[in-house]
Amino acid sequence: MIRNFMRAALLSTALLGAAGGALAQETVVWWDFLGGGDGIRMKKLIEDFNAEHSGKIEIQATTLDWGVPFYTKVQTSAAVGEGPDVMTYHASRLPLGVSQGSIAEITPDDWAAMGLSKDTFAEATWDAVNVDGKVYAVPFDTHPIVLYYNKDKLDAAGLIGADGLPAGLDGIDNFKAAMKKLQDGGTKWGISQVTADGSFAFRTIYSYLCQQDGSIGIDGAWLADDNQDKLAKAVQVIADWVKEGYNPSYTDYPSTVALFTSGESAFMINGVWEVPTMADLQAQGKLFNWGAIELPVMFNHPCTYEDSHAFAIPANAGKTPTPEKHAAVLEVIKWMSDHSLFWATAGHIPANKAVTETAEYKAMQPQASYAKLTANGVFDPKSKNAGVASPLFDAAGNAFTAAINNEVDAPTAVAEMKAALDGLQ
Amino acid sequence: MLKSRRNEMLVAAVLVAPFVFIYGWMFVYPTLQMVQLSFTNAPLIGPGKWIGLDNYKRLFGDRVFGTAVWNTTYFVLLTVIPGTAVALGIALMVSRLNGWFQSLILSAFFLPFVLPITVVYLIWDWLLNLQFGIAQYIIGPIMGKPMNVWRTIPWFMPGVAIITIWWTNGFSILLFLAGLRNIPKELYEAAALDGATRWQVFTRITWPLIWPVTVLCLTIQLILQLKIFDQVYLFSLGGRTAATMVMVQYIFEQAFQKNSGGYAATVAVALFVIVIAFSVFQYQVLRIRGAR
Repeated sequence: MIRNFMRAALLSTALLGAAGGALAQETVVWWDFLGGGDGIRMKKLIEDFNAEHSGKIEIQATTLDWGVPFYTKVQTSAAVGEGPDVMTYHASRLPLGVSQGSIAEITPDDWAAMGLSKDTFAEATWDAVNVDGKVYAVPFDTHPIVLYYNKDKLDAAGLIGADGLPAGLDGIDNFKAAMKKLQDGGTKWGISQVTADGSFAFRTIYSYLCQQDGSIGIDGAWLADDNQDKLAKAVQVIADWVKEGYNPSYTDYPSTVALFTSGESAFMINGVWEVPTMADLQAQGKLFNWGAIELPVMFNHPCTYEDSHAFAIPANAGKTPTPEKHAAVLEVIKWMSDHSLFWATAGHIPANKAVTETAEYKAMQPQASYAKLTANGVFDPKSKNAGVASPLFDAAGNAFTAAINNEVDAPTAVAEMKAALDGLQ
Repeated sequence: MLKSRRNEMLVAAVLVAPFVFIYGWMFVYPTLQMVQLSFTNAPLIGPGKWIGLDNYKRLFGDRVFGTAVWNTTYFVLLTVIPGTAVALGIALMVSRLNGWFQSLILSAFFLPFVLPITVVYLIWDWLLNLQFGIAQYIIGPIMGKPMNVWRTIPWFMPGVAIITIWWTNGFSILLFLAGLRNIPKELYEAAALDGATRWQVFTRITWPLIWPVTVLCLTIQLILQLKIFDQVYLFSLGGRTAATMVMVQYIFEQAFQKNSGGYAATVAVALFVIVIAFSVFQYQVLRIRGAR
């Protein structure tokens, strides 16, 4: 009797196991570093994905600390086979991951499976995820810095053109004249650009370097030729704003946002990721009319720093994913790319061109007015020492923080930066 | 007799074996690995090539390393003795109170110690914020204009030192208070009968009897402050880190940000040597003082 019972129990367990196997849902472990307004929107996307794929694929997402902690964790965990199945990655930081062998290549078969290709993305964005002739990530967005403006104040100062966008801001002197007009009209500061953190200001300075056709260079040839002079000129632009009282000195990131949203400064240079802050405040009726546009041209031609949030698959040591798991990961990436219109509400420009060409996106403001700048975008130099939270950012923090607050003159600071970069291994 | 001693030795060996094993495996072995790593050019992950003494040669010419050593030493000078002195002063005052009022005041001084460093950082960053910080109403009139404390290099270390004392003082106060309570009341009564002044009571009774606790506090503080990292890292984020660098932060930067595990290990070995030197020095100084 008991033996029969045991046999029945075993049999039913085996059956259940088999049935469970057939219906098994794939779990995709996901790590990201999105902690701000965009993180809330990403959680919504993940929820939607899980609801739509209920019983088939489930994303288990964890949000980690942005920057050095994130990249340290993904590299060390991939090295011991404990990394996630998919992770967000800055395109600018791919060279480091590739040099350590912690990221798997996205193979041509993968691209075919996802139905995405080179033509899906803007040229600079596609180039940014290529390292040594291989592709290592799928771009999800591009996120440049932009110029935020207080439309009410610009209107009062007569700086809004016929098309409803700011006019007459191009050129170092014109921009200063515009800020002077605004300050004469009673605004305390012309602009709030982060000045306490030179590694944040790097984004603006790098844009001005690119506007002069300059470049930072790469390992072994940092700031070659006349690039040192060009970089010093780019630094000088902000140093002069501070010296002449247009931009507050030694001001940190949260304060610049607070100065702008409280109307104490008329312009702000910051990443597109601050768009949700403005949109949410305006929805609550706590903000003036505002907008965001491509950085004005201070030198020869338009050019703006940008980076890309991309999806990368870690090369977990000693752990090859099953074909089912791999297919599930590709499905996740593809779905996110297709649904990136919602991601645009976080300010980021979807990397998938099909999404930015939809009527819905074109009606989205101010996103649609700055989206065109991806044509003039410049990414970080391709080096394992460059990219967000990299030794290059660190060198910029040391050199530019002193220079833009006029404690060290720009050429000296740039020379010190070159020395620091040349000292990198 | 001989046999039982051998037995005892065996039992002792068996009893200490787990400790020796774990200590050797978890502490000694990684330390030796670190020393070995310092002779290679290893990145953060994986092995590197043997490069002999190159890392050590680089260390002696490294300006940022020099800054880090100086800043760490400066920080120790600013916190260990002043922090202990402040704690003793507060403990002496608190010990004069009684009942629930004493508990209230004591918990007020202990409260910051409970906070994690990130919260301490945010509180002080807000208080001292250049545009909106409440502390600028004091700094502004004195200096003539608002100052960003964390971007004014000569202010940086003293600023962090003050916050660290504010943060960690509660623990030392507690130790001192326990020490003060252990001093027999009779000694004070006898002193009062002999007409001793307050200063005499302190120098002849309290201070000698509290000395062991003082040594303990100084030792704990020294070890803690030599390893300073969190506060300096947080307050200097994005700024002129090369000028405000401390040693553990430099190890972190080399290993995790600049991806050079070998050189980071070299800096760690240097810190190891410095900590040993400091400890021996302090032990000798305190022993001389204690023997008197």
